[in-house]
Amino acid sequence: MRWWEGIAHATVYVTGIAVSLAVLIMFYYIARESSYAFRQSFSWGYRLALLPADADPSVTPNSAPYSSLVAVNAEGADGLDEREEALTAPTIEQMQNESALLATATPLVSDPSQIRGDELYRDDWRAPQPAEKERRILVLGYAAPSYPHRFMYLAWEPDHSFDPQLAPYRLLLRLVRAPQGVAVQPFEIDLKRHPTGRLLLPVWVARTDSERAQGYLFEVAAVPYTTTFWATLRGLIGTEWAPTLIYPRYGMLPLLTATTLMSLLAMLLATPLGVATAIYLSEIASPRTREWLKPALELIASVPSVVLGYFGLMFVAPSLQHGIGQALEMQSGRNLLTTSIVLAFLAIPVVASVTEDVLKTVPESLRESAIALGLSSSEILWKVVLPTARAGIVAAVLIGAARVYGETMIVWILSGGTAAMPALHTPSAFLSSLVNSTRGIPDTIAIEMGNVTFESVHYGYLFLLGLVLFCVTVVANLIALRIGRRQVWRV
Amino acid sequence: MESVTENLLVTSRTSSTSRRLWRKLKDAFFIGALRVIAIVSIASVLAIIGVIIVKGLPVISWSFLTSPPQEGMTAGGIYPMIRGSLLLMVGTLIIVLPIGVLGGIFLAEYAGNNLFSRVIHASIVSLAGTPSVIFGLFGLAVFVIMMKMGVSLMAGCLTLALFTLPSVVFTTENAIRSVPESFIEAGMALGLSRWQIMWKIVLPNALPGILTGVVLSTGRAAGEAPPILLTAGIYYATGNLPKGWDILKQPVANLPYHLAEGYRQGGVIPEEIVWGTCLTLMLFVLSLNIWAIMVRLGVRRKQRW
Repeated sequence: MRWWEGIAHATVYVTGIAVSLAVLIMFYYIARESSYAFRQSFSWGYRLALLPADADPSVTPNSAPYSSLVAVNAEGADGLDEREEALTAPTIEQMQNESALLATATPLVSDPSQIRGDELYRDDWRAPQPAEKERRILVLGYAAPSYPHRFMYLAWEPDHSFDPQLAPYRLLLRLVRAPQGVAVQPFEIDLKRHPTGRLLLPVWVARTDSERAQGYLFEVAAVPYTTTFWATLRGLIGTEWAPTLIYPRYGMLPLLTATTLMSLLAMLLATPLGVATAIYLSEIASPRTREWLKPALELIASVPSVVLGYFGLMFVAPSLQHGIGQALEMQSGRNLLTTSIVLAFLAIPVVASVTEDVLKTVPESLRESAIALGLSSSEILWKVVLPTARAGIVAAVLIGAARVYGETMIVWILSGGTAAMPALHTPSAFLSSLVNSTRGIPDTIAIEMGNVTFESVHYGYLFLLGLVLFCVTVVANLIALRIGRRQVWRV
Repeated sequence: MESVTENLLVTSRTSSTSRRLWRKLKDAFFIGALRVIAIVSIASVLAIIGVIIVKGLPVISWSFLTSPPQEGMTAGGIYPMIRGSLLLMVGTLIIVLPIGVLGGIFLAEYAGNNLFSRVIHASIVSLAGTPSVIFGLFGLAVFVIMMKMGVSLMAGCLTLALFTLPSVVFTTENAIRSVPESFIEAGMALGLSRWQIMWKIVLPNALPGILTGVVLSTGRAAGEAPPILLTAGIYYATGNLPKGWDILKQPVANLPYHLAEGYRQGGVIPEEIVWGTCLTLMLFVLSLNIWAIMVRLGVRRKQRW
């Protein structure tokens, strides 16, 4: 043995180990990048307003016709956010001209008596915080001397796309302090139970500028009950994928369900066709035919999926829409059903070619014994060959399913792109969601990765989706390997 | 067992002719049905290839293949994309060939047949079944962002190399395993070292199999859009292409990306150009396949074992 042979052996060893670790390395890095999702912060937005006692019931804080409206948004609990704007509160004279009622948002100070009525903080910006952090906003409410009624409404409503149900904290609206001499029961309202509402209160009239600071003091508090980590994971099990909202939602269930449904339908179509093709090739076709068809099958399997996608777009989608579009009230040819059909075209060659390999491993002696027993060809097939190859065929179907599950371009081009939860509860709803625009996991990753800021929360969530996809396909492949070991890989 | 006895009874002389006829009919029906299904499914998938050829062939001309796109991708040819796809394929080939072949040698000759080798096999099987978009994500995270390559040809080649790695490893392993044991024994009898047997006997005999497998899998990789989409693609391409080593650091236009991004842009590219690009991409991959099939047939004829 020469000295360089040792080096050669070492190189082979190192490369071999590196190659076998590749999947772990990939898993590690994708998991690492998905950690950006856990830097998510959970901002909240609520609006409080004082409304006149005779206010139109349709007037809500969000419709903002009153100058008294103050947005109470997610701001730093520790006082001034750098983008927070300190304004001088309007004087009594100014208020009489503009509005009779005022609620002002003020950051929390430990002692309510130190609140100064001539300053207010308008919180129109969102400065998100981790879910572990408690935050409170104080709101000061009072009326101008010109206010005619003896009562006023405190009205509350969530900010436009903010959904209190999804927030990983309890949201409470409390009365911290009533003005002196005003008899009112202290209250604490769970904003998750009553997201919007009104409360009738006795009016507090501020006759001088110093009296404003003694007005009603309300508190909106977000009290977390979980950590950012769990809140992020829980957010993943949501039914809405809307990452571009001001209060983004990263529920992956619609994508996961759509991808699973598409793969199931595609495999439902591809399994019989693919297995039948394989049986034909391996058991029925003459050697001459086989010699031509087997390479043809390999050729078909190598058609790039983006080309298949365009084929679906130009042929399958229009023909489906013209054919059964009317009957099923199909909006467009791009939908779950079309996607599944084209995915089946992708899966047929895969299933057929693996199944054919499996059937080849069925020992010839079994077939010969069956012939000797006088069984007919179809009986040999059903009673001898297929039962022997059953595990391998299941493995072949699983391999095809994993391939379809991760397919990106066909789904991108044909699914229509709406991240909507497929309805599964009634047959008719199911049917209509089959012909609706949808969106799967892989294409969401590919489409949205083009528009995200690198290393942002959205970026992290796309990696998290990738991780889910990775796990599903790896598990499917490992199961296939386990049950079809002898027949598929001959290990 | 029961069914077998039953069948024996059925085929015995005592059975009625009608029963025999029924069995024959059943047989013919099953076999016929299988034949029809198989032919329909193969024909329908072949029809896809046919349709794309029919649609794309009128578009393809010498000038379509050799001129850059014009007027904001709405006219002209697809030369930069073809060049980009070739560059990606060659780059991938250069990276994956040594690593994949060494990995295959390791699996075939070094790993043995024990728990360790089964774990390795399982990990490579998992890698082989991983969707291409996951490789794209990995390439984006590691090559583009962490190693600061940016969206570039280099990052794309590395990503595609990783994508093709498992199939190259498996092909190499199979090619090496298919070299007859007697060859190796002859080498041992001559007193050759393990490495000499590998280098002088096994590899030369396995080479055609390895090469066709590698070219096939890189060809398939060159047709995959998602990894390129995240690591190497660029949409607007003109005749003014980077030259020299600079191309490694620049994003490249290529065929699958052209189709994918063209779809994202929403119908800017005219339909004929899309069909032409589809056909070019398909021919690109199919011609590699046909070449590989020919090589394999040629080798099979030459082999005498």
